[in-house]
Amino acid sequence: MRALDLSLRGQAAVIAAGEVDPAELLDATLARIEERNPAINAVVATFPEESRAMLASAPDGPLHGVPVVIKDEWPLPWRAQRFGAAELLAPTAPGESGPYRALREAGAVVVGVGNMHELGSGSTGNVSVYGPCRNPWDTDRCPGGSSSGPAAATAAGLVAGAVGADGLGSVRFPAAYCGLTGLKPTFGRSAMAGHHMAAVTTLIVSGPLCTDAADCRLLGSALFGEELPAGDAAGLKIGVVRDTVSEDVTPEVREACEAAIEALRTETGGEIREIELADLEMATLAGILVINGESLGGVPAERLNHLHPDVSPINRGFLKYRMLLPAAAIAQAGRVRTLMRRRLAALFEDVDAIAWPTIPATAPPLEAPLVELPSGTHTADQANVRGAALANLTGIPAISVPVGVGSEGLPIALQLQGAWGTDALLLDAAEALERANGRRWVDARPPLAQAEPTV
Amino acid sequence: MRGPLHDPGHPASVGLPAGMEDPDRAEQFVPAGLASLQIEADEIELAVMNAAHEMFWPPIRALLSLDLGDIEPERNPDLSRAPEKV
Repeated sequence: MRALDLSLRGQAAVIAAGEVDPAELLDATLARIEERNPAINAVVATFPEESRAMLASAPDGPLHGVPVVIKDEWPLPWRAQRFGAAELLAPTAPGESGPYRALREAGAVVVGVGNMHELGSGSTGNVSVYGPCRNPWDTDRCPGGSSSGPAAATAAGLVAGAVGADGLGSVRFPAAYCGLTGLKPTFGRSAMAGHHMAAVTTLIVSGPLCTDAADCRLLGSALFGEELPAGDAAGLKIGVVRDTVSEDVTPEVREACEAAIEALRTETGGEIREIELADLEMATLAGILVINGESLGGVPAERLNHLHPDVSPINRGFLKYRMLLPAAAIAQAGRVRTLMRRRLAALFEDVDAIAWPTIPATAPPLEAPLVELPSGTHTADQANVRGAALANLTGIPAISVPVGVGSEGLPIALQLQGAWGTDALLLDAAEALERANGRRWVDARPPLAQAEPTV
Repeated sequence: MRGPLHDPGHPASVGLPAGMEDPDRAEQFVPAGLASLQIEADEIELAVMNAAHEMFWPPIRALLSLDLGDIEPERNPDLSRAPEKV
């Protein structure tokens, strides 16, 4: 069915025009998942009856009848979230989460649950109670995490868009590894209710993962519950930082991102300004400390002696280690947060967006998620988080945009970060970048999505 | 010198052992901290925690050494907005 390979807005348009029966699109999507998912393990649950019931009562919203995948991070009325883990140290139950309600009110149909990195604790997606998720560009590579399944499902053409969550880069990393556009909204603007940390988190947000910015705008508007209006990003003032985040990256990432920044400047008739943003490493550590402090969740220490045996050793170890984090450091992290928020507020008086690579290297192997950077060999997590934590710590929006394909045939991505509430501007800038590149990178498809469709 | 506080089977009631010579060394800090909280760990978990400690402890020490006393933290900050000017 041709509609399967349309964009999210394309699917919405052909359904609205009466050219495609959404029930047929749903069946074709389920068949596509059955056909392609075994190679990537992106979708960990489907529920045709519930999806058909959702379609039967779908309102005439902007996503009427469009199938989407949602990360295993929120409950559905018929399924509790598992957070990619054998055990979650928080009570969960089936229910109507905020993202589910937002999708339902927009007329969308939840067709499956997306795999995720266990407990949301990694940027690679290779650890999960469901087994590793795989990158459609190379199934021996990491898809990125923690929103691994939503990204891989969208990149492989199982669906045209998916909902992820971003606590320290978890929408942006898989978007970058899988060649998608992913928006980390301004804190508090997108639907979060029903998340097991919704009441305590000051970092995590829901966000869209789609092939391009226009689809992110459509799905993002549903999650925001308000339209993200389109503009043109004319005269965009782009701030660049000469620091680890932009310099300790592979040569091909650096080259592609610098070219993209220049292309964005030209397309918008804007300018590039070098800016100073000190203490980024402290901001990263502060983000890690804050999210770990918030996720302790009142669990008694003794409870950690009885973890489910199928929780991975790395998370068993880390769940215990975080109990040893000094309270003084977490308090100090709060002051770093204030410091960075004030510095950013001052910077955003001079620039509209700050640009640096989303990921310092392309997707690493699933079996050994390490990256080789000018500074040496690092775990992908250690290297990736340096460029992501600032947005979560301070609350600002950020977007990852594909800007190239590296020597191993894997996507490269640029991140743009804007002032609080400028989510729509970031989408405008991403669209300008797409225009500047002739849509070359957002229209690139991985081998799995280029396979001759049988459904 | 290793005392009973290093043995998860003999948990401490408070604090870290006086005998811990160097908290930067994971093999001292981690077992002592776990013992103080009565948390048990197997060898693999200890290896993970040792690696985590080696990664996080030096920057945590650096963070704790920063003088941020003149930064008044925002009270109940609205993270969806820019901070108020001070």
